[in-house]
Parts: sequence; structure tokens; C-alpha cells
Amino acid sequence: MTQSTETVPVEPDSVEDEALAQIVDAMWMSYFGHVEPLLAAFEPHDIEGAVLCASVGISGARPGLVSVVVEKAGAVPLAAALLQEDGALTDEDVYDSLGEIANIVGGNVKALVPDAGALGLPGIAAAPPLPSSAARQAARLDANWQGHWLTFVVWLAAPAQAMHHDFHHTSTDTGTED
Amino acid sequence: MRALVVDDSRAMRKIIAGALRKLGYETVEAGDGAQALTALGEGPLPDLATVDWNMPVMDGLTFVTQVRANREYRAMTMMMVTTEAEHGQIVRALAAGAHEYLIKPFTVEALEEKLALLGLLPEVAGA
Repeated sequence: MTQSTETVPVEPDSVEDEALAQIVDAMWMSYFGHVEPLLAAFEPHDIEGAVLCASVGISGARPGLVSVVVEKAGAVPLAAALLQEDGALTDEDVYDSLGEIANIVGGNVKALVPDAGALGLPGIAAAPPLPSSAARQAARLDANWQGHWLTFVVWLAAPAQAMHHDFHHTSTDTGTED
Repeated sequence: MRALVVDDSRAMRKIIAGALRKLGYETVEAGDGAQALTALGEGPLPDLATVDWNMPVMDGLTFVTQVRANREYRAMTMMMVTTEAEHGQIVRALAAGAHEYLIKPFTVEALEEKLALLGLLPEVAGA
């Protein structure tokens, strides 16, 4: 696929950092209200390295990707907090929990995107998300919780910019659920 | 009262079923619309089904449509519980036969309010 390198004029985004923060905050209050609050980070996290990433795609006029990236060491306690379980969790439990977090945030982000289409099912990868080169970061929230970091990122294509294949997701897509 | 919780996320099924049990429901769970139809076929008919929208195999809207096409299931109330937050999606779900719509993330209080509107709050002993 040949991609243009021309700069495409971009309209102001309907999804901005503050809107993403409000969505994440509502999600946290609803399902993690029994644990420590999520604290905004002072600096962006480096989301490369040993991470787990759950993403959902958004189709429509402005295809997009909504991801939650968490350092691997923080994934299990995060899932345990969502499930309110103290015992050992399976990988499937962890993937499912991360996927549901991405799904909840993604669904609410989609509601802010004009002419959005369908929300995809969550995919899990042991690598940072790889959005299409046609997309640009629309919103991001870096946060800390219980000594671990997690980052929420929204990528959206520029208006009226067709995307051949929305986004790639590397490595171990577990095919988990939303 | 009995509820069928239909969601492909085990975490979300646990959250919803846990909240419903605290309100006095007995719960059964299904991971997609097809599993939910099988559960309905096996009976007994639940008073309530909470239905996610985006699921593999059979999505929630298809499930709601199929349930509404079956007269034997008319007594069951269906509540969509989903991240699909656009007005148009809510209208689609209600038109397909859902009785109520709850957007994720939700609080237990919001779920309780919806059930009260539907007249489906069980009387919990000691409450």
C-alpha cells in the first residue's frame, strides 16, 4: 500500500485529553472504587518494553484505536481489583479484565467521535499498540496506581482519510472478549 | 427472581451477577447470545436478562431480536448493559425489543434504579 506523505489538514478533535480523563475516571469510580484511586502521572510513561496492551478498534468516518497499556507487573493486581478476587488469576482472567477496561473506555470514546461505526472486540498483545500511520494520537492519559503505571491512548484518523487496514496489533492476540 | 447475565467478559459477568445477587436475584450466565438462547431453551425462563451488545458468535442486538420473535419468551424483561453510548444505538436496541438500557460504566445504584423502574427489584429478606 502506498501512503501519501502529504500533510492533511486536521480538524479539532472531538476526543481530547480531558474527555478521556473523564471517561477513565467514571470507569474507575464504578469498578475500582474499592481500591486506591488512579493518580495522574506527571510525565508520560514509556509504553515500550514489558507491557500488556488491550485495544479496541473504532470503525467509521474516522477509524480509531483505543488502548490501555499497563506494565506487566501491574496487570495482575489490576485484574484482581476489577474481579475483586484475592486468589491466583489465570492469564485468561487478566486478558479478559484488561479487554473489558479497553472496551468500556473505547465504547465511551466512540460516542464522542462523529459518524463512528462499530466498536470492535478487544484484542490483547504483549506489545505496545501499533496504530496505522494514518492515525494520530488524539488523547492520552498517563496514570499511576499502587506503584504501577498504566496509560490510556486514543488514536484517530484524520477526517475523510481512508485507511486500508485500520490498525495492526502485534504478537499474541489472544482473541479475548469485550 | 432469576436473571440471565449475557456478556462475553467474565469480569463484567461477575460484576453484574454479583450486584444482582446482592439485590436478591438468582443468576445464570452466558458468554454470548447463542449461549444465552441455549440457556433459555433449557429453562426456566428468567425474569430478567442483562445483555451486552458487542459479543462474538451472536451479538446482543441479534439476541434481543431473536428473543422478541419467540412468544414463549415474552415474559422476560431485557436490559441492554453495554458500552454503546450513542443515542442511535439506544434507539436501535429499544426498537429491537429491549426494555431498558444501561451504559457501562455503571454504578450498582444505577442498576438498582433501572430495575426499580422496571418493577424488578426483589424484596430482599432483612432489607
